[in-house]
Amino acid sequence: MRERMEQALRTSKADYTEIRIEQREASKVIFRGRDLETADVVIDVGGIVRSLCRDGGWGIATFNSLEDLPARVEQAYRCAKAVHGEPIELAEVPPSQERILVPLVKDFRGISLEAKKTLIEGYNEILLSYGDAIQDTTARYTDRFSRVFYANSEGTFIEEERPEVSIALSAVAREGDNVQRGFEGLALVQGFEGVEGQEELAHQAARRALDLLRAETVVGGRYPVILDQRLAGVFIHEAFGHLSEADFVYANPQAQAMMVLGRRFGRDILTVVDDGSIPGLRGTHKYDDEGTPTGRTELIKNGILVGRLHSRETAAKMGERPTGNARATGYRYPPIVRMTNTFIEAGETPFEDMLRDIDLGVYACGMFGGQTMLENFSFSAAYAYMIRHGQIAEMVKDVVLSGNLFVTLQNIDAIGNDFQWERLPGGCGKGQGGLPVSTGAPHVRIQDVIIGGR
Amino acid sequence: MDILDKLQGKAEQAEKFFVENEVTKVGFEANVLKSVEVEETRGVALRVMVEGRLGFAASSDMSAEERLIANALDSARYGDALPLRFPGPQPGVPVTTCDEQITGLSIERLVEMGQEMIDLVRRADPDAHVNVNLERGQRRAEVRNTAGAQAVVVQSPLEIMLSVERVRGDDVLILYDFFSTTVWDDDYLQVARQVARKLELARELTTIRSGTMPVLFSPMGSTVLGLPLMLGLDGKNVYRRISPMAGKVGQKLFDAKLTVVDDPTLDGRPGSAPYDDEGVPRRRNVLIENGVVGGFLYDLKTAAQAGVESTGSASRGLFSPPEPSPSNLILASGETGLADILTDIQESLLVDTPLGLGQGNVVSGAFANTLGLAYKIEGGEIVGRVKDVSIAGNIYEVLGDIAAVSRESEWVYGGLKLPYILLPALNVTSK
Repeated sequence: MRERMEQALRTSKADYTEIRIEQREASKVIFRGRDLETADVVIDVGGIVRSLCRDGGWGIATFNSLEDLPARVEQAYRCAKAVHGEPIELAEVPPSQERILVPLVKDFRGISLEAKKTLIEGYNEILLSYGDAIQDTTARYTDRFSRVFYANSEGTFIEEERPEVSIALSAVAREGDNVQRGFEGLALVQGFEGVEGQEELAHQAARRALDLLRAETVVGGRYPVILDQRLAGVFIHEAFGHLSEADFVYANPQAQAMMVLGRRFGRDILTVVDDGSIPGLRGTHKYDDEGTPTGRTELIKNGILVGRLHSRETAAKMGERPTGNARATGYRYPPIVRMTNTFIEAGETPFEDMLRDIDLGVYACGMFGGQTMLENFSFSAAYAYMIRHGQIAEMVKDVVLSGNLFVTLQNIDAIGNDFQWERLPGGCGKGQGGLPVSTGAPHVRIQDVIIGGR
Repeated sequence: MDILDKLQGKAEQAEKFFVENEVTKVGFEANVLKSVEVEETRGVALRVMVEGRLGFAASSDMSAEERLIANALDSARYGDALPLRFPGPQPGVPVTTCDEQITGLSIERLVEMGQEMIDLVRRADPDAHVNVNLERGQRRAEVRNTAGAQAVVVQSPLEIMLSVERVRGDDVLILYDFFSTTVWDDDYLQVARQVARKLELARELTTIRSGTMPVLFSPMGSTVLGLPLMLGLDGKNVYRRISPMAGKVGQKLFDAKLTVVDDPTLDGRPGSAPYDDEGVPRRRNVLIENGVVGGFLYDLKTAAQAGVESTGSASRGLFSPPEPSPSNLILASGETGLADILTDIQESLLVDTPLGLGQGNVVSGAFANTLGLAYKIEGGEIVGRVKDVSIAGNIYEVLGDIAAVSRESEWVYGGLKLPYILLPALNVTSK
């Protein structure tokens, strides 16, 4: 493959050209209630050529057939020639050659669909064992093994294995018109062993759905809120992380003024980092999808904005260092600036101390999802509890937190000493659909958060 | 040898789904032309019935046919036993889905169209940073099966995605809109005009009180109400009894002003086609009529499970089995003009762009959304943008009493046609 790609690159007339080819095999087994939805294996092979003509722009060709790579290179070049935009430069990155293999303890490619079905059926049986109030379940096993080949006209060649295995378990409980969902899951850069022995997750999902049937809808208003680690991680990804992606600011002077380095975003206790080089996490790769080495980028340090995330193009434009954050969701997409593993660094406050000062507040846990319009954000907790007189009280549901980023980050007044990485399946949806990322955080307390409710 | 012939003797029934797409894309970023892209897609999915059990496999590697067949047969060993029969040959519903004026659009013409849109939006607001993606393509999907069906759908979609960022100090406004058609439409600039108008209306900032008040949803805002309806009408959610509408056909659950139709027979709409993705002829389905639940959307498998007929509503990507899905979902427009609705409003919130759509327990009908773009209406006029506002409710309660549905309606995200909807009382939380 390397020779074919390098040969095709040599035919390119563009100033810069890269080829990325992905071969993927993926299997999934899904139960809905007592029914097996599917147990299948799919094969996906495809590639992308991206060319740059410096006085014009990017030309891109994506395809499934790998038969004639030089023709794809020519196609991308012709596309690039059709662009008459503004000059584009790429920040310098030394060429790398590397083959990155990921050894798996129990390689899921050698495990039968039968064994995968047996595993997930077992978890589904646990969900169903909670009785008639459980109206529906979804139990999903997925694995995928990608081999990604990357070569560019500057001499970089990287071959990387990208395995992932995951389970997602969801129980829907119903009583009349009251329908509630509990879910748990796990997504890992591991072999089959990573998702074995996870019965407790199924119990948790089913119990939570039943508990939510009894929960009242939260009364809307403004509260002091403690986010659990899971939600705090999503919060920092959604509410702040996307603003630190340089493609938001690099062509927009007003946005640059808003995100000027040195600006205070939070109190001294707040430090936020993106690091694509932490071993074993879903957002981790040795190189990004432009062949730039990944690493630790501090975004907020002691409350002050100190960094942002770059591709080669945004780094050159802003005169900053490329950070290895150009990532693509598969061969259909060119790389864009994305997060990797984004986290709030651990602080010093024990959870009990955070609770103690709250007379009336909300302890928001887990997540259904989050969305940001940069300045404004919205994210929904999977479940929550009221905090009354310094104690965790009754469970509440339909907790959607929202607010203004600048105000909310300043309102973080306690950061826990109990940091955790999140391992739920799912990914970041910016522009191109789900890209594996990780988030992490300790418990975090925020004053004065708007909670929607009836 | 054809793949269906190769499966003879190995499967009682077999189905091949073959897609072949070619799409050309032009992308502007921050007002400047940035990229041109050509995308070619090819792939095959197989479904087989072996001993009454359904198996599935797919591949985009056309040289891997033997593995594809082996994977499909292996999958069928685990499938549930189902009384599912692939359809025989049937005439498709007549509908126009293809236009040479779209497939013939040159890259230069797409670039011109994008530039016209950027100019139009920037005339309304010179601070706007506009991103435009224009795509024109030819998509061909073919379903063939051992019952003799050969259903071909060819579409020529033109899709335009427009988004605008405007930053002033710490005030960020992000707007987006989407235009799509499969038949050339001279008025493609409507999407840019709409965004320009929103920018103008959002120029003034104002505040609104918290509390219960009438709330008006724009067509884009009405997605807050439309999405839970869409999930509730999905035959799979009904069969699984997680839809609150399950078992309630014939009952009046909503205000008489609510009528919902799924209509794949409209010329030029991206959701329209002679056949669905299982080769079943598409058809118009009335789902809610004057507030009364009329029926749900089914594909073959869900219909077999529920003991009903497919409504021709199967939809699939290459790598997953079909699922029931709406084609063009239409909330019927009403009697009252928007101007007349506005005139009667003393104080109200106009919801335009929700954040967090689809988050939370959507199928239950619950919604709780922060608003990316919302306006205050006072004395019959839109007086300015309000920020840091959220709304919450449950459609199975709030759609029981609708104050007005507008005569005007718009296509949102390509596949949803929505009017303005005025609810008499909804809880609004404001900072």
